[in-house]
Amino acid sequence: MAWTKLWVIAYRDLIRNRRRTFFTLLAVALGLALLIVLNGFIAGILDDALQNSIRLQTGHVQVRAETYEDSRRSLQWKDLVEQPGEIAAQAATMPEVAAATPILWADTILNTSSESVGMQLYGIEPDSAFYDPIRASLVGGNFIEANDRGGVMIGKRMADSLGLKLGENVSLTTINADGVPEEGIFAIRGIFDSGVLVYDEATVFMPIAKAQSFALTGDRASTIIMLLHDENDADQVAAAVTAPGLQALTWRELNAVFLETMGTAMSFYWILDGIVMLIVAVIIANTLLMAVFERIREMGILSALGMKRRQVMQMMIFEASIISLAGIILGLAIGLGFVALLTQNGFVMGEMAGSTPTIPLSAVVYAKFAPETFAWLAVWTFIIALLASLYPAWFAARLEPVKALHAS
Amino acid sequence: MAIIELLDTSKSYRVGEIETRALDDVSLTVDSGEFTALVGPSGSGKTTLLQIIGCLDKPDRGTVTINGKDVTRLNANGRADMRREVIGFIFQFFALVPVLNAYENVELPLLLNGVGAKERRERVMGLLDAVGLADRINNRPDQLSGGQQQRVAIARALAPRPLMVLADEPTANLDTANGEQAMEIMKRLNEQTGTAFIFATHDPRVMAYARRTVNMLDGRIVDDSKKL
Repeated sequence: MAWTKLWVIAYRDLIRNRRRTFFTLLAVALGLALLIVLNGFIAGILDDALQNSIRLQTGHVQVRAETYEDSRRSLQWKDLVEQPGEIAAQAATMPEVAAATPILWADTILNTSSESVGMQLYGIEPDSAFYDPIRASLVGGNFIEANDRGGVMIGKRMADSLGLKLGENVSLTTINADGVPEEGIFAIRGIFDSGVLVYDEATVFMPIAKAQSFALTGDRASTIIMLLHDENDADQVAAAVTAPGLQALTWRELNAVFLETMGTAMSFYWILDGIVMLIVAVIIANTLLMAVFERIREMGILSALGMKRRQVMQMMIFEASIISLAGIILGLAIGLGFVALLTQNGFVMGEMAGSTPTIPLSAVVYAKFAPETFAWLAVWTFIIALLASLYPAWFAARLEPVKALHAS
Repeated sequence: MAIIELLDTSKSYRVGEIETRALDDVSLTVDSGEFTALVGPSGSGKTTLLQIIGCLDKPDRGTVTINGKDVTRLNANGRADMRREVIGFIFQFFALVPVLNAYENVELPLLLNGVGAKERRERVMGLLDAVGLADRINNRPDQLSGGQQQRVAIARALAPRPLMVLADEPTANLDTANGEQAMEIMKRLNEQTGTAFIFATHDPRVMAYARRTVNMLDGRIVDDSKKL
């Protein structure tokens, strides 16, 4: 039989009950739109968190001593990079590198008269372009100077929670390279508000020269951190800057825990995607079953005319295809419209932004277009809808012509 | 030439605890080109007999040979093939596909049989013209009167050029004028095409058109007479 006629019958059957068809189509559309917005939002979160992590913490490439372990933040000389300034200067000459700067990291305890808080101490070269985002986010005071021996910068969130103000002194305590506690008093020169709450509440910046003398590390640094113009050049740059006794790590390795965490989180979102698709499937199956029940006698007529079971099934599947395709087109329009809106306006994350230390979220997260993911969602919605139509189609095909013809 | 041969055919239906014998050892032979009425009161087995001849149902016992093929041995697809190629149906309630117009309803069995576009158009227009509905081809069933719907159903039954047309109470839902018109058309097409018509009825005016009358009672054939 010419398939076109089966399509015509399927289409006209859908038109026959416009309201039911419309609401089913709407369910498919809203289901897909929800999935698209959800996944666009998740893609935005992933991208935001990864870019924040790269921009503010890991950079694209780092050079460290071979024995340095991220988890220990060791200040022992054997775990630190010698002559970091030279390595950074050399790296900065590479065309792929936008910025290269040494950092000395140390665990520290910030003490006020009433509280003690564990924080990360960053000994930095204040003039490096790597800190441009922090410089741009200053909300009070000045960015620390390279030759400042008694000043630090802290995040606004930390300042607010401890009631600290510009110019106030705080005490920092760290275990120095010799394993001895070292305490110093520092004045708050600047307060920044990077929008990444994990940094705004747990990082103290001071000039690297002072940090080195404070922690007794000589001129050594924990790492030389590099920002690249293009993240895809990371492997190539890492290979070029590595040397005996050193390890060069790319942003993928540096964010391995984060990427793994997000991978795990994604599997939960896939379950959510699956649940939404299942709901759409149940609605489609219900609509088609209703359509079959309403047309049992008509199925009997078609069967009496010699239509085979396979053709009856095809006709029902065509109906599901039409509803699904129309729903998917509408769902894409609604979903992409919302994603476009959220790429401009974003979600205000509020307290959620700082709730997970391994995911450095901005206070406002923008959705992101993920064409490949959206395309797969549309394809899967279509497949699930067709699978959902199989039972009603099978039910229709199995109707006995005699009973169907005499159905009321 | 015999196109239908039933031998000792029986069929029972069970409704709850009660078993009803709808056909009881029925044997019947119908030749090509016949215009035969199955008559008898309600429950005499006319419809069951038509359904079994029409491969819509299977007997419990006996053999049913249609066009030389024992259809009791066929599976669902095989019976669908027989219905599509050899048998046309006309039902009491017209049984048109409501979403298709008159033209498309008549065309449907031709599409199922894979008839080419040009021949389809010629046959459909020819038949709709023959039943006086050439000007109603675009009307859907709900835009046609009962008589017009039944005429579309007659055209549809004849479209695949079947060996036989089985009509179950074809005039029961029509007024006298429309009923007579439908019978006149069926008789004329029977004579023109040579297609056998077998119709179940208990309307004496319809019986008058038949050249052969098979009387049924309680699932049995009690009389079988031909007009001379």
